[in-house]
Amino acid sequence: MEGFYKFLSNNSIFIVTFIVLIVWAGVFFYLNSIDKRIRQIEKENKGERNEK
Amino acid sequence: MHSKAFALFLKDFRSELRTRYAVNSLAMFILVAISVILFSIGQEKIPQSLTGGLFWVVIFFSAMSGLARAFVSEEERGTTLTLQLIASPSTIFTGKLLFNLILVFLMNIVIAVLYSALFDEFVIRSFYLFVLTFVLSNFGLAISSTIIAAIISKAGSKGTLYPVLSFPILLPLILTSVQLTSNCMVGTSFAESKVDLAVIVCYDVIMLTASYMLFDFIWKD
Amino acid sequence: MIWKTFLFLLLCFVSIAGISFPIVENPVHWYQYPMIKGLEENAKIIFFHVPTAWLTVVAFFMSTVYSIQYLRKKNLDDDAKSYTAAQLGIIFCILATVTGAIWAKFAWGSYWSWDPRQTSIFALLLIYGAWFALRSSIESEEKRASLSSVYSIIAFLTVPFFIFIMPRIMLGLHPGAESIEDGKVVQSASPVVDFKMNGNMLLIFFLSLIAFTILYFWMWRVGYKSLIYRDKILKQSSRG
Repeated sequence: MEGFYKFLSNNSIFIVTFIVLIVWAGVFFYLNSIDKRIRQIEKENKGERNEK
Repeated sequence: MHSKAFALFLKDFRSELRTRYAVNSLAMFILVAISVILFSIGQEKIPQSLTGGLFWVVIFFSAMSGLARAFVSEEERGTTLTLQLIASPSTIFTGKLLFNLILVFLMNIVIAVLYSALFDEFVIRSFYLFVLTFVLSNFGLAISSTIIAAIISKAGSKGTLYPVLSFPILLPLILTSVQLTSNCMVGTSFAESKVDLAVIVCYDVIMLTASYMLFDFIWKD
Repeated sequence: MIWKTFLFLLLCFVSIAGISFPIVENPVHWYQYPMIKGLEENAKIIFFHVPTAWLTVVAFFMSTVYSIQYLRKKNLDDDAKSYTAAQLGIIFCILATVTGAIWAKFAWGSYWSWDPRQTSIFALLLIYGAWFALRSSIESEEKRASLSSVYSIIAFLTVPFFIFIMPRIMLGLHPGAESIEDGKVVQSASPVVDFKMNGNMLLIFFLSLIAFTILYFWMWRVGYKSLIYRDKILKQSSRG
């Protein structure tokens, strides 16, 4: 554990990388969830049209 | 078509003579802008290149105050529909453009005379180049401000939006004009600044054609 | 949905590689970047800053294309597409401006120095701002669509002037930029004259460009579809 902290404080660029990865994952899953919801609405819309 | 456009221009001209709204506000604005600059300078000696830039600042802000009215006045009086009935969009645009051209030339000649009288540093070495720059940029200014005025007249908030919309459109024109004016003050020849002149000519031509093509879409709805 | 996984992994790889791969004097391994004099670690911004600037331009172009499309066909879906493109454009424009300004503080010594490209992106920011101000001031949908289309076309026409005028008026500071003085092309005045990427740097740069472009198109599609469906649902519910 001690060695790990030392490694991070010497190579702080990895912390930056880690934060960037978290941000990217957040953006990705947020977009993905919107995409899914839109797909659902698209399907419902088509279904309604067929009923008419 | 030409006679109609001219008639429209005459109508604007006469109503302007009657109320003198645009001319009065323009004259006051020029006075205010120049005196603000004079006050802020005070007794300082300012570099020559700066006066050329300030000259265009005065022109830009005066244009912003006076030229927005072209189409707004029609909307306010409720004469837009009548105009749509009697003339084609391009005719209307020509008429308004003529009026704005006269206004811009009047305004800028006054500014130029006042400015060169009040600022000792504003010395033009190559006079003919300056006249050419002046005329070409006035055309550009009139064309762009007329089409933006047409957009504004259909939008909700009429007064405040005008400078916001015009600035990015006028920016290339103003930058080139400032460059050319500082060239004139240094005293460069025609041949050296012909590229900048060509840029302004291109700007005028492109904006004119685009305005005529797009005005239909603004006017008919 | 293979391409989504692909995009996710690609951008993960690009951010890991772009940020944390070491810069050494003489690159031997494939993961090492060459040292660029005057930039050192600062050179890594190219993997993130350039794609955002590129997407700003792409978004602006697409917004104009769909504006023209709207004026020709009068289909409100095209307006939604144009609007979403512009929304994404202003986000990337702000990102590019901010990252560039922070980088410039370390590379050139000041946040803002009116370099040609800085001025151009500032002009783009102004155009976007004016465009959104115009849109927010009009209530009727059709009117808003046609007026903002006209404005975006006019604004698009001024862009070539910026590209042409700027290097004549001010000195280029960007790495690889050139300035024109007295009709002659001179090298940029920046401290970084010699900007050469080696093979793997170029590869990661292009991977990043591709990944960001895919991300942009995905965001754009999600954006315009949600706008279109929102309008549809609103109309349905108002009808009864």
